[in-house]
Amino acid sequence: MTWLKLVEGYMPMQMITELAVCILFFSICNYLLKKAGIGVPKFWAGILVWCFINLFYLKYRIYPPIPFSVRAIYGTVSACGIFMWVSGSQEEWLEFKRPIISVLDANNAFTKVLRTALLLLLPLGLGAFAYSSLLPSFDEPIELRTVHPAPPATTKVHGKTYVLQTAQQPYRIDTEGKYDPAYSNAHIVDQSMGRLMKDVNSSEDNPWDPNAKGYIKHVREGGEIFFQNCHFCHGDNLNGRGLWAFAFNPIPANFTDAGTIAQLQETFVFWRVAKGGIGLPGEGFPWASVMPPWEQHLTVDEIWKVIMFEYWHTGYYPRTWD
Amino acid sequence: MGRLFTPMTRGKKRFSAVTALIVAGVFLTLPIILSVTALAGGGGGGASGPPAEVLEQRKAAAAAAAAAGETVEGEEVKIETGRDVYYKTEGPAVGMPAPITADNETFYPRYNFESRVLLWVANQQHLYYGSFVLAVPIFCMCIELAGMISKDKAMAKKYDQLAYDFIRISLTAYSLTAILGGILIFTFLTLYPAFFGYLSSIFRPVMHIYALTFVAESGVLYIYYYGWDKMREGVLKWVHLSMCVILNVIGTVLMFLANSWIAFMMSPAGVDEQGRYLGNIWHVLHTALWNPLNVHRILGNMAFGGGVVAAYAAYRFLSSTTDEERAHYDWMGYIAMSLGVAFLIPLPFAGYWLMREVYAYRQQMGITLMGGLLAWLFIIQATMIGILFLTTNYYLWQALGRMTGGERFQKYIKYLVFILVVGLLVFITPHTIVMSPAELKAMGGQQHPVLGNYGVMSAKNGGINAIIMTTILSFIWYQRGNKVPTVSWSKFGNIFMGVFFIVAQINNIFLACYGYFIPANVRIGLSVPQVAGTLSCLLLMTPLNLAMLKGGRELGPIKWGQIPPRSQYAIIMLATAFTWMMGLMGYIRSSVRLFWHVNEVMRDNSPWAYTHTIGFAANVISFNVLFFWISIMFVFWLGTLGAKKVAVSKPVSDPVPAGASPQPAAGH
Repeated sequence: MTWLKLVEGYMPMQMITELAVCILFFSICNYLLKKAGIGVPKFWAGILVWCFINLFYLKYRIYPPIPFSVRAIYGTVSACGIFMWVSGSQEEWLEFKRPIISVLDANNAFTKVLRTALLLLLPLGLGAFAYSSLLPSFDEPIELRTVHPAPPATTKVHGKTYVLQTAQQPYRIDTEGKYDPAYSNAHIVDQSMGRLMKDVNSSEDNPWDPNAKGYIKHVREGGEIFFQNCHFCHGDNLNGRGLWAFAFNPIPANFTDAGTIAQLQETFVFWRVAKGGIGLPGEGFPWASVMPPWEQHLTVDEIWKVIMFEYWHTGYYPRTWD
Repeated sequence: MGRLFTPMTRGKKRFSAVTALIVAGVFLTLPIILSVTALAGGGGGGASGPPAEVLEQRKAAAAAAAAAGETVEGEEVKIETGRDVYYKTEGPAVGMPAPITADNETFYPRYNFESRVLLWVANQQHLYYGSFVLAVPIFCMCIELAGMISKDKAMAKKYDQLAYDFIRISLTAYSLTAILGGILIFTFLTLYPAFFGYLSSIFRPVMHIYALTFVAESGVLYIYYYGWDKMREGVLKWVHLSMCVILNVIGTVLMFLANSWIAFMMSPAGVDEQGRYLGNIWHVLHTALWNPLNVHRILGNMAFGGGVVAAYAAYRFLSSTTDEERAHYDWMGYIAMSLGVAFLIPLPFAGYWLMREVYAYRQQMGITLMGGLLAWLFIIQATMIGILFLTTNYYLWQALGRMTGGERFQKYIKYLVFILVVGLLVFITPHTIVMSPAELKAMGGQQHPVLGNYGVMSAKNGGINAIIMTTILSFIWYQRGNKVPTVSWSKFGNIFMGVFFIVAQINNIFLACYGYFIPANVRIGLSVPQVAGTLSCLLLMTPLNLAMLKGGRELGPIKWGQIPPRSQYAIIMLATAFTWMMGLMGYIRSSVRLFWHVNEVMRDNSPWAYTHTIGFAANVISFNVLFFWISIMFVFWLGTLGAKKVAVSKPVSDPVPAGASPQPAAGH
């Protein structure tokens, strides 16, 4: 259902709002039907709501497709929610289970047939499920990848040891050359959609300004390094969709996603860039990263600068613990 | 036993009560007195230097070396010093270094089974029972006090009976706690002798204090229980309550001491890099994570204890044959569950503090827990927390059904269900999704562009706060179930409460979204106004609601016992979820040390120094939960043996007659 766009930047709230509107719409419809004397029985209302959320909305409305494990979680939770709704009061519970009891009691010909059919189909269905589960599968196994394993306490790059908890980005400085995260945070690109530069005419905001100095000048230097080395995989928009990206699975990290560099300390990113996929610790199973150890190609200064460019371009702030 | 005694004169009773209180006081101070003696004898050592016997030994060794011509005449005996790994202070290296173990029978004797799992089971069972018996006396204290200050005689008697019921259940569990503690020590000694030897050498100054505190706890508990009847009236009742206070003080000290061992294993202090004790026992006890663990465990124990007692009441409710019994156990379950939930609400905040301290102590430890290897276990934990809150709401909605007038709220349940389900879905959406490589490719990257946003902290804070606020609203509805406010300002009050809840929820959602656009350190700070909104709903709206209901019009009585059995299954589920979550969090806390017995000081070189798969861990946790519930059912069954049958009389409506509750047996 890609024709109905999910608006970038608003997608999480859009999904919740759409679901709320749909549920409200169902409630109003059911209310009107009840008024007309043809209300949907609670049993079918519960089943319909569950099917709508899980078999339609989450499966076809949300794109890209949601992995099965998450849909299974959502399906279970929504089933619990529907149970809570239909059994919230004794009257509703009695109403909900009336068709079930009616089929089990089988007081007329139709329910007798239905009960017999169910009693036959249920074990058959379970048998078929067991059979298909036991069939050998040639699918690739499911993986639980640790994307951000815990870093070591220290890392040695070009002969110097860095304590990751306390090391600082040397180029995150103000116009006077002092380490100042607040200054750099105030001069990253605009946070809204499009992520445009704040002021193209300002030497404090525009890295390409010939008079740019300090932090913003180092951002430009980082950008040059990025486009010489990193954009082939991570993409010119830093969204992990570079020229070579789709040769890999998973594709390279999408820095514009709120779950990647926005969640990490700069020193963590420094360690990951310097050591690459081959330097992932045991915890980083299954080590699904082809990133080269950039310490073999870049200097320490170049690594710091490219990291700063990534934060500037995406508009995210590095994680700090103070 | 207490209730079979022949009547005593008031003077005699008072004398007995005061004697009992003095004995309890002596029990309380005994470990302190003995510990002072022990510490003075060199156990603690302080920072002044090694104990005399160590110095003597060193002098003797130096003399022997001198005799062998190895030292220059007149040279002083050199006292080696070490630097505290946490406090960074210098101190005399009094203890031996942590043993460097190897994978052999000397360091790790074993059966044909994984020693770690055996220890895990023994430890967990001891912890379950320990938590229960430490929590129940705190409930007793509160309930007994509620009975004493109640002006309604019938209610006072009911509360007193309830407190007695609680302590009766915990007494059998107390014996089991001691037995399980013995099993745990034997397991340590037989399977991990080197590690246990090291740990006990570090904690030598307080090991016996712990044992004596346990003795003191037992003594006071028995006096408290068996003295129930003798100290029933007047000032004697206050003496009795005082003993419960003493009992809880001792229990808390006991728990703090036990916590110090696990805190030391996670964040050692008071030792140098080699693990040598530096003579300051306070540093060893007061490690980086000790206090957050203490607070978290007190709250956790209370929530767990409330859950177990509520499950007992639910079990008795479901097996009741009379209306009187059903009414009593319905009420008991409600009280226990309310107490448990009251401590459940602040528990996530205490957990938040603990995690903050973990990050402050070691960033790697925090990332391993929340973002790395163990992150998926936190998703399971989030699911369990969600189950706890959803179940609580469900119980309250069912309980509305036993009130005349409660049905006017039940039609709105579906809206609360929606908020709860959406909040939970956000709260449990994993950051690292389990998927096949094909799904990964179809998704176009590791993070889902829509759901990925739910996987980070900002959204999750919003999710859990929405759930808690909804739970508070359910509780306020429950309070109003059969009552209508009649105060002159009730209309204004209702509007104010409604607006307050809406604003708090909007504030919560806005901050959850805003968190994506600000630096991480500011984002972490946003949790404060979010939590403040939630707590304001709890601490302002609940009393306001009570004030509005004061003198309110009753629509009808609370029909205790007339609640659907589903509610009781919900209580049992609540208790099971507590138990499962305790097992899970214990495993997470322990396994974050990875391959260390004592983090960065003593390495685990056993063949089991690896992290279990999630599936295996979940199976062992489930086994522990099952084992606990089977054994506690046995304890419950013993409890029923001690209860007299009550004669069936007329059906019960509000209030439950005090005499209708099952009477305790003559002895335990």
